[in-house]
Amino acid sequence: MLDVREDFPVLKREINGHPLVYLDSACMALKPKQVIQAMNEYYEVFPACGGRSIHKLGEEASNAYTQAREKFRSFINAEHEEECIWTRNATESLNIVARCIDIPKDAKIVTTSLEHHSGSLPFVERAKRDGLRIEVIESKPDGTFDIEDWKKTIDNKTRIVSVVHSSNVTGTVAPIEEIVEIAHDRGALVMSDDAQYAPHHPLSMKKTDVDFSAISVHKMCGPTGMGLLYGKSEHLESMDMFLTGGDTVSDVRYENGRIIPEYLPPPEKYEAGLQNYAGAIGAGAAAEYLQRLGMHEIEKHERTLLSKVLKEFKDNEHIRIIGTDDINIKTGLCTFIVDTVDSAHDVATYLNDSYAVMIRSGAHCVHPFHYQMGISPTKGTARASFYLYNNENDVDIFLNAMWELIEASS
Amino acid sequence: MTELSRNAKCVLQILETTDSLTTAEILSMAREDRFSDLCTDCAGGDTFVVAANQLVEKGLIIKKFGKGGYRWQLAEV
Repeated sequence: MLDVREDFPVLKREINGHPLVYLDSACMALKPKQVIQAMNEYYEVFPACGGRSIHKLGEEASNAYTQAREKFRSFINAEHEEECIWTRNATESLNIVARCIDIPKDAKIVTTSLEHHSGSLPFVERAKRDGLRIEVIESKPDGTFDIEDWKKTIDNKTRIVSVVHSSNVTGTVAPIEEIVEIAHDRGALVMSDDAQYAPHHPLSMKKTDVDFSAISVHKMCGPTGMGLLYGKSEHLESMDMFLTGGDTVSDVRYENGRIIPEYLPPPEKYEAGLQNYAGAIGAGAAAEYLQRLGMHEIEKHERTLLSKVLKEFKDNEHIRIIGTDDINIKTGLCTFIVDTVDSAHDVATYLNDSYAVMIRSGAHCVHPFHYQMGISPTKGTARASFYLYNNENDVDIFLNAMWELIEASS
Repeated sequence: MTELSRNAKCVLQILETTDSLTTAEILSMAREDRFSDLCTDCAGGDTFVVAANQLVEKGLIIKKFGKGGYRWQLAEV
């Protein structure tokens, strides 16, 4: 088991006399001191513009910014640094692709009922904007898919497939390599929402062969307001720009009363304006931190903790697990309903108030799947998510709090 | 009430209509047309419940946990 709790300053906190049991990492991961220090170093030592100013501080900021991109490239095993675009979050990454990719009028988009709103809505809106067809593949109740549905739905008219690699509700890991193979055989591109997958599993762009990937850095021990768009060079080079402005151009000529821009290739093409240098440096530090610990070790650690929770929950008549209980295709989270309370928010409130156990409740920005399952978003589901800093003591406190809640509400 | 969020005002207005309500009942009522101008998170409900909990801290409402979960009601002033 990993033992990294000393790296996370917030875990020293107590709330109402209780140690903090943080089980909401699928929403926001805690930050290790290595990331905090890397960002502080930027603000304290070289708080300058990268890629512009030629003075010493500018040079140091530029170097740190460039190194951060290389650290992230290594983390996701991409071919080239230029394929890694800094964004604000996975949502922005998904929007860039949905808005900027060329889609012929007679082509269609494919997505699923299990997508986070950030994975579906940008494509729903693109389809609406251009009058395109969009088809939705329904997941099974356990969050898995019938691979035959992918073969039937993706056809040679399909331009792009938007699929969540690991669901933030069911925790199920999609068979991404099979989906990519099916899509590529039919000439379609694949956009993988890796917001939940990247923080918890080894991820290799070379291996999955996806065309695009969206990652949220705040879910992987990095700073808020930072994300990454991975795209194969050929697509990033041909796609329309999302924003234009400073830093996207090699020159802007003025000829005969006309302003004529000469745009740079990726990554600058997609990074208009002054960038979040501290954020990118923090993102690089987070990638380096996780990679040093080993993503296989992190995955194993989470699954060990989750296995205990799943076993205990399966044995309890009042708890219904939403999503697969197959640990081999599951990210370290467990979404569930407790039948002794009226709303999942009651579970989250009770655990927080009584034991400083912090979980998420609601519909997790995946309303379509809740409707598909017949679960009203107002009742919602509760979600406990585990990460590298959780331990067996956290699990024990969580489970004991759950048993107490069930008894008190029965 | 100017310092209260719209969700918090919505919780108060809903609780003014009855003695006490469960969390799901409050969220269901928040989706009704008569509260639609105030409610800004009545579908998922997470920030709505956060607002309700802040009202508890301010002493404006109380919550009690028992059979079926929480019941919320206006505090007596």
